[in-house]
Amino acid sequence: MKKTLTTCPYCGTGCMYYLVSDENNKITGIEPTANHPVSKNWVCVKGWNSFHFVNHPDRLKVPQIRKNGKMEQATWNEALDHVIARLREIRDKYGNDSIMFFSSAKTTNEENYLMMKLARAVFKTNNVDHCARLCHASTVVGLATTFGSGAMTNSISCVDEADLIFVTGSNTTEQHPLIGTRILNAVQKGAKLIVADNRKIRLARHAVLHLKHKNGTDVALANAMMNVIIGEGLEDKEFVANRTENYENLKKTVEKYTPEYAAEITGLKPEEIIEAARMFAKAKKAMIIYSMGITQHSHGVDNVKSMANLVMLTGNLGKPGTGVNPLRGQNNVQGACDMGALPNVYSGYQKVTEENIRARFEKAWGVENLPSNVGYTVTTAINAAAEGKLKAIYIMGENPMMSDPDQNHVREALEKLEFLVVQDIFPTPTAKFAHVVLPASSYAEKDGTFTSTERRVQRVRKAIDPPGQSRSDWEILCDVAERMGYKQMKYKNPGEIMDEIASVTPIYGGISFDRIDQLGLQWPCPDKNHPGTPVLHVGKFTRGLGLFCAVEYKPSMELPDKEYPFCLSTGRCYFHFHTGTMTRRSRILDREERFPFVEINTSDAKNLGIRNREYIMVATRRGEVKAMARVTDGIVPGVIFMTFHFEEGPANLLTINALDPEAKIPEYKVCAAKVRKIS
Amino acid sequence: MKSLTITEIEQFLKSVEPEFDLRVPIRLHDGTRSLGGLNEGPLSLMGGKIPLKPTSVFFPQTERVFTRESDGEIKMEKPGEKPILVVGYTAEDADCLEFIDKFFSENFRDDLYFQKRDGSVIMVVSGKCGPDGGFLKIAGGKCDLELICDGERFIAQAYTEKGRQLEKKMKASKEVGDIDSLKKMSDELPDDDLKTIQKASELILAEKVPDAFWVEIGDRCIACTSCNYACPTCTCFEVYDRVHDGTTVRERMWDSCQLDGFMREASGHNPMGTEDIRTRRRIHHKLAADVTRWGHLTCYLCGRCDDACPTNIGIKSVSRMIVERYSQANEK
Ligand code: SF4
Ligand code: SF4
Ligand code: SF4
Repeated sequence: MKKTLTTCPYCGTGCMYYLVSDENNKITGIEPTANHPVSKNWVCVKGWNSFHFVNHPDRLKVPQIRKNGKMEQATWNEALDHVIARLREIRDKYGNDSIMFFSSAKTTNEENYLMMKLARAVFKTNNVDHCARLCHASTVVGLATTFGSGAMTNSISCVDEADLIFVTGSNTTEQHPLIGTRILNAVQKGAKLIVADNRKIRLARHAVLHLKHKNGTDVALANAMMNVIIGEGLEDKEFVANRTENYENLKKTVEKYTPEYAAEITGLKPEEIIEAARMFAKAKKAMIIYSMGITQHSHGVDNVKSMANLVMLTGNLGKPGTGVNPLRGQNNVQGACDMGALPNVYSGYQKVTEENIRARFEKAWGVENLPSNVGYTVTTAINAAAEGKLKAIYIMGENPMMSDPDQNHVREALEKLEFLVVQDIFPTPTAKFAHVVLPASSYAEKDGTFTSTERRVQRVRKAIDPPGQSRSDWEILCDVAERMGYKQMKYKNPGEIMDEIASVTPIYGGISFDRIDQLGLQWPCPDKNHPGTPVLHVGKFTRGLGLFCAVEYKPSMELPDKEYPFCLSTGRCYFHFHTGTMTRRSRILDREERFPFVEINTSDAKNLGIRNREYIMVATRRGEVKAMARVTDGIVPGVIFMTFHFEEGPANLLTINALDPEAKIPEYKVCAAKVRKIS
Repeated sequence: MKSLTITEIEQFLKSVEPEFDLRVPIRLHDGTRSLGGLNEGPLSLMGGKIPLKPTSVFFPQTERVFTRESDGEIKMEKPGEKPILVVGYTAEDADCLEFIDKFFSENFRDDLYFQKRDGSVIMVVSGKCGPDGGFLKIAGGKCDLELICDGERFIAQAYTEKGRQLEKKMKASKEVGDIDSLKKMSDELPDDDLKTIQKASELILAEKVPDAFWVEIGDRCIACTSCNYACPTCTCFEVYDRVHDGTTVRERMWDSCQLDGFMREASGHNPMGTEDIRTRRRIHHKLAADVTRWGHLTCYLCGRCDDACPTNIGIKSVSRMIVERYSQANEK
């Protein structure tokens, strides 16, 4: 029996626990830790089952190469030689930017760092991105513009101190369960909760005010709340005067968003907006918690800026119990962004367009001519591949066939590629298109770090050996670099990689495996003696003054019409994670949600003669998917909701490939759909 | 009676290590207390109950039932080479173990459980070694041997032949005459919690607790399953097969009555289809249904579900609410 302290591979809450393993190299269960500040004694159902996919028979164990259209087993030597030979050919023929690297928020910081180093130092392209593009790209852009730092401003424990919690676009008890329970407990102790979300999520049952505004009308709601706050003189005048700039602009923009005007757009009653505004402004300490409901829109950045505006206007920043708190979805999506697995920045959000920064990385990595043009994003790369402009993609632990919008479009793009490498732990739908498949090890089989949503850098530890010939992503990436003739990507262990990260990344400057041996540190942590930073922007914003960014309401790209009368919104359920590769291979979790389903309001179902649990067809302009009807009053009439976990009923066959112009995040939350009975 | 220092207990444990598979209180990497071997962390006798489900020693989260080779041969799981020696149960944990022994042997014996349980030795730790210096109830039986702390040393009390054999192997630098004063302290421990759950049990059985109450409680349950997974008397499991290269492995793993799939029928119909009914059932089971079936409560107040529930709906807090709201004295 061995017990290994590690970090949960599912959500960004960042619970730590012990993996219990036996003499046969098998994990037999998990044991909570009693001492972790977030997961003290607790884990959610995903955490309790987070070991169960590890030993699943479907694990990829041997490298494979496509030969005459068929995948055949190969040795590591053959597979990696083939990878570099093909990538070299393509690079020489079409140029550096014809190759794209998909990093992964599921892998460790060290691996993300190496992926971006491989792309930049070895292949000389900034074409590197990962799935943050699909979840919080709008946050990174929006909050970096307004505050200078695109991360959760406060800590999870701040929930306990807030007087008012405004939750919007986050089904917290299902998606960040142990943050959700903190909100429930805060409410028990007297904090007020406002939920702005038109699904009747669990938190809504505990809210003093449940605003069921129409999907995609968040800017109108926020602007109207600010209109009321300014109109009634409830703004924090001192904070606005001393800590922010561009206030007059905001004031002017929100002038026309009277509660009545916004009520038209949002479908709310003017009084509801007024009440929410007053409660928010009058609370001593108010915080906003948001997630995909805010970010996954063609105006996702505007939504994020609105949240930032509202919080600055009321002075709820830079102190415990307040802030703008985007909950990052994946275990390491914060870290993957921090590591610069993004097309425009190196680790620590240092811009590739700035010469002195490039020079610093050139020196550190011993290379010349690092590229200065911003690369493709995950989403624009798929578009470029479909147009034939991008020729090869190296994917580490991502599954665009299931996760990206408009599956047929993704299929077309992947089919057009001259070369596709998929490095993963399971045979994903994306791997079906691969020319080379590389078996990777899971979180339980390697060392490294994940960074949680509260910017806490925490240890991941190897509990057992990887199955078959599979290897850690970091080892594979180092091997590729070495075969490409690059000498400065050799490490004895991930601790050494972190030391390099710390040396080139000011916000991680004080992080080392020694210091985070038991408990992680929250960045910014600039030097070895720095205790970490629980609350950002205390006394001063990262960018100096907070910038009010006034935004106008823009409707979503594809609104319901006569032919497609429903608004389709997509997301996740409690028991599954993203494309389901791990949770659907975990016994208990898979049992809980076994079928693709679509939530539909009782009255809509009645009108269409649809019964609960009956299979129906859901169609959009992109295609048609069969799913089981879940007839419920938890969703408002006119809206339907699906999850993207199910290969046999992929919601992303239906979603629209409409992107936010700045963040390039897809509009997963709104598109027009119709449903019909299967006769 | 032998009175041992912690060092002497450690020496004793080392001396019996060749004969036993040790599960003793240790501190893991971040200080969390657990049950494990002496090589897994420093011994940690003080501090009261171990957070993990103590009966997981005999009923782990997952375990293999059998393997069917590709040629059809079936291999049952074999018992471990050495019997298990557990140190560090509380008196309440020993009560829980006694109950699940009964549960797992009723009607047919659960071989997998008794493979580990048979031949095992249980040592309760009690006395002045609870959390923050608190006093832990003395079991006075229900285990093979008890180590009763007087604040500094541990006095060994054997209750069974196995216990006496082990006691003989203990080398103590001191002997004491009696432990009456410690027993008295144990007897004088408040029994408010017991009274509360007994009262709650009566109220539930008398149907005094309305459905609305369970809706209110259930609204806070996020179905994390921790209450079940921490509870020493929760014994439900799920069985499944996995096929690895032609070899079928049958395993079982903990299940939880707080989950929708626990009782869902293949048709999709679910007699326990909402959180309020499921939460009601969990509490009801321990405080009402089992009373009818076994003649006693099957919650022994180990306190783990209250620690493990992230939204404060462990059995003690729910019972307290029930009594506060629905007992006649309070109804007036
Ligand atoms: S709350 Fe998130 S991090 Fe914690 S156990 Fe659940 S899935 Fe894992
Ligand atoms: S206190 Fe809770 S965990 Fe302990 S025996 Fe009772 S029900 Fe089970
Ligand atoms: S521990 Fe609490 S929240 Fe979790 S399943 Fe049990 S009652 Fe529900």
